[in-house]
Amino acid sequence: MSILLAALFLLASPQSGVDRITVAAADADVAGLSKAMTPKVTFRRNEASATRAPWVDSNGWRYLRQPDGHFYCDAPGAAAAALAAGEAFAYDVHVAIHTDDAGSASLAKMLAFLRTVKGDDFSPLVNIGFVDDGSAEAGEFMNLLVRRNLLFRVVKQADPTLDLTVVPGSAEYSKAEAANPSLLAEKVRSNLTDAKRLLRLYGSEVVVGRLVGHGGDARLYLINYGAARSPAHGVRVRVLGAFSKQEAAQFDAPETKLIDVSVDSKTTEFTLPELKTFAIINLAK
Amino acid sequence: MGFPGLYPGMRVRVRSERAVDAAANRIDAAAVKLMLSRGIRELTGASNDHDAWSHFISPSDTVGIKVNCSGAPEINSNPELVSAIIDSLIALGVPANRIYIYDRFDNQLRIVNFGPKVAAGVKILGAESSRGSILGYDPYTYVEADFFGEEDTRSNLIRLVSDTLTKVINVPTMKEHRAAGVTGCLKNIAYGDFSNVARSHQREKSNTYSFIGTLASVEPLRSRTVLNVMDGLRSLWQGGPFLQSPKFLFFPKQIVLGTDPVALDHLLIDMIEAKRKQEGAPSLFDRSPEHLKRGPELNPQFNSFIREPGHVEYASTLGLGIFDKARVKDKVIEL
Repeated sequence: MSILLAALFLLASPQSGVDRITVAAADADVAGLSKAMTPKVTFRRNEASATRAPWVDSNGWRYLRQPDGHFYCDAPGAAAAALAAGEAFAYDVHVAIHTDDAGSASLAKMLAFLRTVKGDDFSPLVNIGFVDDGSAEAGEFMNLLVRRNLLFRVVKQADPTLDLTVVPGSAEYSKAEAANPSLLAEKVRSNLTDAKRLLRLYGSEVVVGRLVGHGGDARLYLINYGAARSPAHGVRVRVLGAFSKQEAAQFDAPETKLIDVSVDSKTTEFTLPELKTFAIINLAK
Repeated sequence: MGFPGLYPGMRVRVRSERAVDAAANRIDAAAVKLMLSRGIRELTGASNDHDAWSHFISPSDTVGIKVNCSGAPEINSNPELVSAIIDSLIALGVPANRIYIYDRFDNQLRIVNFGPKVAAGVKILGAESSRGSILGYDPYTYVEADFFGEEDTRSNLIRLVSDTLTKVINVPTMKEHRAAGVTGCLKNIAYGDFSNVARSHQREKSNTYSFIGTLASVEPLRSRTVLNVMDGLRSLWQGGPFLQSPKFLFFPKQIVLGTDPVALDHLLIDMIEAKRKQEGAPSLFDRSPEHLKRGPELNPQFNSFIREPGHVEYASTLGLGIFDKARVKDKVIEL
């Protein structure tokens, strides 16, 4: 099976970004690769937690911390395998995915879908800078920012072109509060203000978005980390900026149409009626 | 029309001993039909049902009946009462296929199973066919509020209300609610017509005090809700909105009609307070920490939340109705 999938990899268009996703054989040597988590949602109903939100195992923060890193992701099962590929594609990182028989067909289909995606010259759209000290605490802080769709990139120092720079350990985001990254993420949100957020998602707690842009156009990747459990029945999206054209493509759902579209001078809103695993929304002025 | 409607401050309470066989926990449909007929005529002053219902509904309307199924199957808007309302609407000339029984959750509606118990052709619609789905809600009509730093800060109105219905008849149950204090007209029309409202409770804190009235004020819901028929055939005095123990069930054997949700809910507060006092339970207005305990509310001395029955008086400040008892007019009928 790994031979077949490797063949798929070799057929991938070098322009599509799929070439950054490889398929690891069962006995592949993963030494030297950074371990990524199996993308999924863990529902912890019987555990006390700071919030009632389900626990999303996303690799977004790892990929943002090491955009040139090489990762290894163990993704058994159809949903996890497809998610791992979609996630790697959205964050444009090198990931070797190891899956099982149940995941191999799904992974092959996802790679085929990703090969159809045009354009590789998009850059991340963010308005938050994060000064990453490489610590575990900073990693968890970034994880919470990713989960809350607070779009950031790692910076070495404050960037005046961004609306906000987050410095862990500073007076505003003190080390004393590092044990509660959820609170810190809430502070970032509050300091940025919801009005300035580039992306808002409504209707699901387990969908994470990644926004990229080129020229005046934008592209949104939507990842449903709860795909193994169920599709998201309706995701309402608000993107900052007026985009008169919207076009959706979705893995495993070829006829995806956006509904309830509204565009004003500052924002664009639409609903994706069902998000199974991974969708790409192209937005143009 | 709309809150407080044609009859601000007026409450018509109709009680019938025959309405419920408490021992068998069974509703007498014929008795309920008589109660409704008498109540609507008393409210409007009309001499017959047709004229009475004409005050609120015309044959060209598309009517939604907002039921409460959150405690189903033990405590919910009773099909016998809902059926009597539907029969009245059909007699008025509203076609059955322009009458909707609706609520937020499809699975709860299925538990009650109104279909075989009401006139043929009536539509039954749950806004959420799968829990959490937003597709049954209007993306353009919402209240945005951040209570506890939750990511999704919107609560959207059920799409059926904004797109299809021209009138709404509110049929709440009369029961205690562990967060709101009581769940009557205001809570049923507010939390029962909007998405994503459970976010307003966290740990012992509930934001129902202001959120219920705020939601009930939203147009077009407010203008389209022309009548409240509170179902007090059965009631709960602890652990609501669910029946956590049969010992909390009691039978007021009454319905209360009016257009003013504040006046009606004030009566509900009084009723639940009286029952709790009789049972030796703390007041709904009690906020003392020693009566807070997380978990099932099986001991009436304890509750998971600080109840917010003040939401009813707060709603009066939004113009939704009359709270002041001196300005409320009661009609009490015993059949």
